Amino acid sequence: MEGNAVMREKLIVEGLSHHYPDEYTGMDIHALDNVNLKVTEGEFAAVVGPSGCGKTTLLNILAGLLPHKVGSVRVDGHEVKGPGPDRGVVFQEHAILPWRTVERNIGHGLEIQGLPAPERKRRVQEFVDLVGLTGFENRYPHELSGGMKQRVALARTLCANPVVMLMDEPFAAVDAQTRITLQEELNRIAIATRKTILFITHNVDEAAFLGDRCFIFTRRPGKLKATVKINLPRESRVWKNAVADPAFTGARDEILSLVREEVRDDDG
Amino acid sequence: MSAAATTFMAGRMGLDRKRMRGIGLGAIPFLVLLGAWELNTFMGWLKPVYIPPLRAVVDAVFTLQEGCSALGILGMHESCLFTNHILSSLGRVGLGLVVGVPLGIGLGVLAGMSRRLSNAMEPVGVFANAISGIAWVPLAIVWFGVGWFTTLFILLNTVFWLVFFNTLLGVRSVPRTYEHSVLTLGGNRWHIISQVYIPGALPSIVTGVRMGIGFGWRALIAAEMIGGNTGLGFMIFVSANEYKVEEVFLGVLLIGIIWMVTDRIILVPLEKWTIERWGLVWRPS
Ligand SMILES: Nc1ncnc2c1ncn2[C@@H]1O[C@H](COP(=O)(O)OP(=O)(O)OP(=O)(O)O)[C@@H](O)[C@H]1O
Ligand SMILES: [Mg+2]
Repeated sequence: MEGNAVMREKLIVEGLSHHYPDEYTGMDIHALDNVNLKVTEGEFAAVVGPSGCGKTTLLNILAGLLPHKVGSVRVDGHEVKGPGPDRGVVFQEHAILPWRTVERNIGHGLEIQGLPAPERKRRVQEFVDLVGLTGFENRYPHELSGGMKQRVALARTLCANPVVMLMDEPFAAVDAQTRITLQEELNRIAIATRKTILFITHNVDEAAFLGDRCFIFTRRPGKLKATVKINLPRESRVWKNAVADPAFTGARDEILSLVREEVRDDDG
Repeated sequence: MSAAATTFMAGRMGLDRKRMRGIGLGAIPFLVLLGAWELNTFMGWLKPVYIPPLRAVVDAVFTLQEGCSALGILGMHESCLFTNHILSSLGRVGLGLVVGVPLGIGLGVLAGMSRRLSNAMEPVGVFANAISGIAWVPLAIVWFGVGWFTTLFILLNTVFWLVFFNTLLGVRSVPRTYEHSVLTLGGNRWHIISQVYIPGALPSIVTGVRMGIGFGWRALIAAEMIGGNTGLGFMIFVSANEYKVEEVFLGVLLIGIIWMVTDRIILVPLEKWTIERWGLVWRPS
């Protein structure tokens, strides 16, 4: 890692703006305004901002699910024109297919790529084990807890081996205790896979715990307000230790005050 | 391992016993009716011209099948009147399903995917569905004459629209994130249709097929009465004209029995093995 002098930029967003047409009032909703950001290879980038500031809009544009007219989005040097397997997405909830078993959900990307079954099975098992779902391979999603479903979603995206992983509040719908476990597991996975990750959340603790850097957005129309670097080694990102580590608490407090400014302005 | 297996077996047995009890309860009304029927014959309350004895209804099978061999049944030999009527009714249902279900699912999926197509198809669907199957019979006779075309038309008209509508609604109810997640895994339109829309709409599709067969079967019988020259409906109609009330009874009973068997043996298990397995429907525990 240290020897890697050339930092490659995997995700580049330049001058990105977005308006939603409003069919009822005829007035456009200005969701994103001139967003510029870069995420380097292997980096874990967290995005926080007040509710409705355009985070999901940003993610949908990066994923290619929402076309953009203004600005440019490049992944690994290629302009984003639509959805593709180079950008894996972990959605907040309701995304793994109920009619597929755990195993077939996780191997879905490889199945689409046309990987032969024996090779696919081997790769799938690797990720089943990585997210701790060993023994549940043949279960259907409705037989799993909320936390387990999100593990399946995570493994499915990882297994397809995307260039960047986009995550939109993936742990927002699970209970607090499960969320803590999932955050620690995601950190462990980030170490193991060295994936480039853009992680959206409105939980400041989560952003500081997981991110190498944190992008703070203004309220709508969302602009990049500030970037906070979190100098906490990945290996020491365990909740028990992090809460007492100044590298974590300092970053968290800084992010929190930046976010609060936006929320307070909103109230006034 | 073995403890788990034992629990599993016990669970299975419990389930089977519960199911048996369910079937037992469901049989009671039939047994009561059968008893009343026999009692009526024994007591002679209502004359056999109105309510024929059970015995006469069973005998009617042999009268209608007189001179028919096992091979003749399959070859629909003219001496096998009874089985010929059954087979032609079933044949129409089969044909109606083979044509109507894929067509309904296919167009239903397309309409569910495209706002424009569904806007174009929905009003005419509402219109067509409002006209009950039987109301088309006179017109169908004018167009196609008495026979297979008329009865098939009536059946198709019922099956298609019900399957089409239910598929359309089913596809629309599939959460968008399923589609999005497959797209971001590199899936194309075909993957979305076959792996998201169709399985996601399946509960609705099965409902549509079940309703389609149910209503189609009723409409078919009615169509055969006036627009057919074979089939159970035709048999009942002709027998009534000839005052062969035992044959009418036989036909009516069979219409009910065939539907029950189709529903219980084909459609209900289909629902169980797909939809319930996937947890797509709420089920009482
Ligand atoms: N499809 C749409 N059509 C019109 N307006 C939309 C649409 N989607 C989002 N918006 C509007 O755009 C703005 C940004 O929405 P977005 O979902 O991106 O916010 P968010 O930051 O993800 O919020 P949250 O934290 O609550 O998830 C909001 O004001 C929202 O009302
Ligand atoms: Mg959002």
